[in-house]
Amino acid sequence: MGNLKVNYTDVKGVTHNIENADDGVSLMELAKQNGIEGIFGDCGGGCACATCHVYVEGGWFEKVGPPDDIEFAMLDMVADVMKDNSRLGCQIKMNAELDGIAVTVAPTSGF
Amino acid sequence: MATQAEEAKVSERLPLSPEQQALLESGTLTDRAIQARPRPYYAAMRAGDPIHHDKGLNSWLVTRHEDIWAVQSDPITFSVNKGYHEIQARGMHDEFRNYLREHGGGYFPDAIMSDPPYHTRIRKLMENAFTAHRVKELEPRITQVVHDLIASVADRGSCDAVTDISIPITIRIIVEQLGLDPGIEDKISRWSRAVVAQISAMQSRDEMLANAAEIADLQNYIIGKMKERESDPREDMISDLVHAKVTNEDGTVERLTFEEAVSLVRATLIAGNDTTATAIGNLFYVLTTKPGMAELLESIVDDDRKLNRFVEEHMRNEPPVRALSRMCVKQTVVNGTTIPEGAHMLLVYDSGNDDETVFPEPRKFDIERPNLGRHVGFGGGPHRCIGLALARMEIKVAAREIVKQLKNVKLAIPESEITYVPTVATHTIESLPITYDKR
Repeated sequence: MGNLKVNYTDVKGVTHNIENADDGVSLMELAKQNGIEGIFGDCGGGCACATCHVYVEGGWFEKVGPPDDIEFAMLDMVADVMKDNSRLGCQIKMNAELDGIAVTVAPTSGF
Repeated sequence: MATQAEEAKVSERLPLSPEQQALLESGTLTDRAIQARPRPYYAAMRAGDPIHHDKGLNSWLVTRHEDIWAVQSDPITFSVNKGYHEIQARGMHDEFRNYLREHGGGYFPDAIMSDPPYHTRIRKLMENAFTAHRVKELEPRITQVVHDLIASVADRGSCDAVTDISIPITIRIIVEQLGLDPGIEDKISRWSRAVVAQISAMQSRDEMLANAAEIADLQNYIIGKMKERESDPREDMISDLVHAKVTNEDGTVERLTFEEAVSLVRATLIAGNDTTATAIGNLFYVLTTKPGMAELLESIVDDDRKLNRFVEEHMRNEPPVRALSRMCVKQTVVNGTTIPEGAHMLLVYDSGNDDETVFPEPRKFDIERPNLGRHVGFGGGPHRCIGLALARMEIKVAAREIVKQLKNVKLAIPESEITYVPTVATHTIESLPITYDKR
């Protein structure tokens, strides 16, 4: 078990501090392991469904960088809830540089 | 999983017209006319009886988007394993299974049509092959296959868009990806139809046996290919599956059983083939019947974002998979409707995608919908289509190549004469004669 830290704000606004994230685990997998509400990861981490959509908070977005074209195409399918700091959790893999990262789970695309 | 508070929540039922009331009372999805043109039946259910017991089918049709979403998000209460294997050769299980044991190398339950936690480990094993990034690497090769196929009919001025273009495209791609023999295409088309027919609940005994014979032939073929790859692995998906290892949650590693691997090769061959061909056939259908569609596609074909949205809106507007099964394992109230234990259910995706509370003016083809990702054309939850990125890519490349090589594409028969494959599982045009000019 690793010792990297992640701060999630789930879809209901509840914060969760995870302190044992492994190097290499994705923010989607880690959220599912910890039961973070609003993260589904239907496609299994294949960047193909946008059910692990998060907003990367504060200065962390500069560290993770913007989505590539393939990821952007998925985020664009939930355009009503996409923001400038949107990413898919499955495409962000934990490493020492991201230790302490804070993300907020995006609401489900609207009705 | 639904909490008690959510179970108690009941959304509004709307008043029905006398025609809608009559349709609900006498209509059934086993009626071929309703199967072919089901939207009025769906609309009546969605409005007045959103989880409707279809007497002809003896199945509960889940028609509102919110209810489809709730059911597919609870894979334990609503079992795919029981739903799928129950409807397969419905009423003739034992005969079907015994036939395959005797003639098809064995009866191999579909490992992917299962429930968590077993499903989770099978799914994990398959997922790497289908990521959007991996599929992107296949784009040049897929483009070549699609280009060549359309080029081969472009000079003729007329063809059948389903049997001459859509079906051959998806079969050629899956033959390459799996590593099957060129020349096997005709058989794969027959095998695909047979597998889909087994879950259609529309078979006579003779038809079931004829379809079982095709499935036996399919199994014998893939078992032969798998045995070859056991000793001589190659760069193809059969080799990947034969040699696949599964890591369990506790870190232990195990291999797939041979039975599991046969079922997964079979599922990969069929699931990504017939359904994607249906989506491409439906694309020709909308291009030739909906005013402005051909012009729209032509105007956006070089804009990657808009083309992606076009493909997704097509999946919402004409989902190839109409409905898939679940079985309710314990009596459960869903949105005010009590589903009995053991009841068979169908998640009616093409009704969910027409739910006007989620997609305003649902019959309008609108590539700028802000919530396109909410459509259920690929299902959703843990059983969401695993090959969705590949399907999107095949449809996108087909759309691009149609525009680049053909113009003035027109339906060569009256729209009312279009016939559909008799199944509740997919909404598949049997034959679509078209005329066109080479661009």
